[in-house]
Amino acid sequence: MTDRIEPAPHASGAGLFFDRLVQFLNGIGTIWILAILILINADVFGRNVLHAPINGVIEMIEISMIAIVFLQLADATRVGRLTRSDGFFGLIQRKWPKLGFVMGSVFDLLGALMMFFILYGTWPSLIEAWTLNDYIGNEGVFTAPKWPMIFILILGSFITLLLFVKLAVAQIRAFKEGVPQQ
Amino acid sequence: MTPFEIGIASVILIVVMIYAGLYIPVALGLVSFLGVWIIRDNIEIAINMLALAAADTVSHQVFATVPLFAMMGLIVSKAGLGNDVYKVANFVFYKVRGGLGIATVAANAVFAAITGSSIASASVFARVSVPEMRKFGYTTRFSVGVVAGSSVLGMIIPPSAMLIIYAITADQSVGQLFLAGIIPGVLLAVAFALAIVLMARFWPSFVGGHGIVEIKEGTEDWQNLSWRDVATLMAPIVFLVLVVLGGIYGGIVTPVEAGAAGSLVALLIAIFRRAISWQGFWDCLVETGHITASILFLIVAASMYSRMLGFAGLPTLFQAWLDDQGYGIVALMMIYIPMLLLLGTIIDTASMILIVAPLFLPAIEALGLDLVWFGIVTVIAAEIGLLTPPLGISCFVIKSTLNDPTIKLSDIFAGAFPFAIIMFLVLLAIIEWPQLSLALI
Repeated sequence: MTDRIEPAPHASGAGLFFDRLVQFLNGIGTIWILAILILINADVFGRNVLHAPINGVIEMIEISMIAIVFLQLADATRVGRLTRSDGFFGLIQRKWPKLGFVMGSVFDLLGALMMFFILYGTWPSLIEAWTLNDYIGNEGVFTAPKWPMIFILILGSFITLLLFVKLAVAQIRAFKEGVPQQ
Repeated sequence: MTPFEIGIASVILIVVMIYAGLYIPVALGLVSFLGVWIIRDNIEIAINMLALAAADTVSHQVFATVPLFAMMGLIVSKAGLGNDVYKVANFVFYKVRGGLGIATVAANAVFAAITGSSIASASVFARVSVPEMRKFGYTTRFSVGVVAGSSVLGMIIPPSAMLIIYAITADQSVGQLFLAGIIPGVLLAVAFALAIVLMARFWPSFVGGHGIVEIKEGTEDWQNLSWRDVATLMAPIVFLVLVVLGGIYGGIVTPVEAGAAGSLVALLIAIFRRAISWQGFWDCLVETGHITASILFLIVAASMYSRMLGFAGLPTLFQAWLDDQGYGIVALMMIYIPMLLLLGTIIDTASMILIVAPLFLPAIEALGLDLVWFGIVTVIAAEIGLLTPPLGISCFVIKSTLNDPTIKLSDIFAGAFPFAIIMFLVLLAIIEWPQLSLALI
C-alpha cells in the first residue's frame, strides 16, 4: 500500500549472511511448491489416464503445507509481505518519523515474542516425535516420520524471530541516529 | 472479569492493535494468547494453544489451494491472457455507448474465471484498459473507477482466494463455494454493465467517451479482429476454465487438483507463447511463496483467535443472546453487514473474513441458514471494502500500477464509488434471494 520508510541499511557481514540464509530457506520452500505441483498433476494423470494413482499424495501435501509456510515466513516478513493495515501507521511514519520508529520497533519485538512462544511451545513435541518415532499417515499405505516437519516449524519460527529482532534493532538505530533524509 | 468479558475485550484490543499498525497475525496470536492466559489463569495452556495452532492448522490438503490458485493467477497474468480478453471484449462492445467500460467489465468477468485475486485483476486491467479508455475520451475518473469496480469480480467469480479462506474458516467445501460464486459474480458483472449504459446515457459528464467518432476510423488492432482471431484469442482461456471449473463441477478433480492442473495448463500456454522465461517463472514461484506464507500464517493466527473465542465461549453466548432478543435473520444482517463495511475501510478482506465470520457462524447455523450462502454474502460485503477509502486496496493497486501523478487516489475512490453502491444493491439481492447463490449446488 503506502511505501514503508525504511531505516538506513547497516550492511554488515553477519547481516548479509543472515539475509542470504532467509532467502535460501525461501528458495527451498519455493522448490517445494513446485514439487507439490508436479506431484499432484502426476497423481491426476496417473489416476485418470494410467489408472495408477500415487499413494500418499494427500499425506504428502498435508505435511508439505506447514513446511512451506515456515520456510517462507521469514522472507515474506523481510520483504514486508506480512499482513498489516498501515494507513494510520504510515501517517505516523510520515508526520512523526521518530514516533514511527518507536512504534515500528515495538511491533517487530511483539512479532519476535509471538515467535518465541510458538518455539517454546513446540519444542517438547519435537523431542517427543524424535524419541517415540511418531509418524504421519496410515501404516501400509504411506507413512512419514513426524519430526522433520516439527523441526522445520521450529527452524522457521527461530529464523523469523531473529528477523523481527533485526528489524527492531534497525529501527532503534534509526531512532538514535535521527531520521535519514528521504 | 468473566470469560465472556475477556473475550469481548480481546476482540476490541485486536481491532485497536490492527488499526495502530501491528502485523495482523501478530495481533491475533498475541492477544489470543493473552486472552486464554487470563481466562484459564494458566500460561502453559496459553502457550500450548499457540503451539497446537501453529502445528495443526494448515495440516490439511485443502490449504494447498492457496499456493496453487495464486500461482495459476500469476502465470495467467504473465502469459498476457488479460490483454487478449480485453481485445475481444472491446471488439464486441465498442459500438455501444460506454462500450469500452462494458468491455472492461466483461473482460474482468472472464479473466476472473481463471484467476482468484482482485489484486491481479486490478493490476492487469489498470495497465491495459485505463490508457485505452482515456484515449477514447472517457474521463479519468470513470476509467479508473470501472477498473477498480470490476476488479472485485476476481474474488467473487471462482476460483477465488477469498472463497477458499471462507471455506476454511467455516469448514465448508471449497468446491461448493466456487459453484455458489458463479451466479452472484455474473449478476454483479451484468449489473455493472447495465449501470455503465445508464450512466453513459444520463450522466455523460461522469463517463465521457465522446471520442466514439474516432473509434470508427479503425486504427486500433481490436477493431479489425475476425471471428477467427476471436476464437484463437479465447481458446486458451476457455480451455483453462474447462479444466478448472469443469473439472470441479464434473467431479473429475478436487479443488486442490484443479488448482494444480490449472497452474500446469497456464504454464504450458505461457511457454507455448514464449511469454515466460526461466527467471519469470522463478519470480512467479517466489511470489507464490510470499503470498502463501502471508495468507497461511494469517490463517494460523486466525485459528489461535478462534480457539481463544472458544475458550471465552463468545460465539455460543452471542448466539444465545441473539436468540433471547428474538432476533432473526434481518437483525443479524443489520449487525453483520455494517460491521464488515466499517472494518473493510481499513482491514484487508482476508483478515476481515477470518476475524468477523467465526463470531457469527454459530448464530447463522442456529437460524438454520445455509453456510455456503453466508459465505457469498460475507465475501461480497467484505469486498466492498476494496473500493472504499481510506484503504481500498484495489484503488491503491491501480494507483501504484498506473504510476501517473495526474491521477489522484481521490479520483480513483470517486470513480469507484458508483460501483461500490451497485455491489451493495447486489448484496441485498443475494441476501433476499438465497437461491441466487445456491441454485448451482
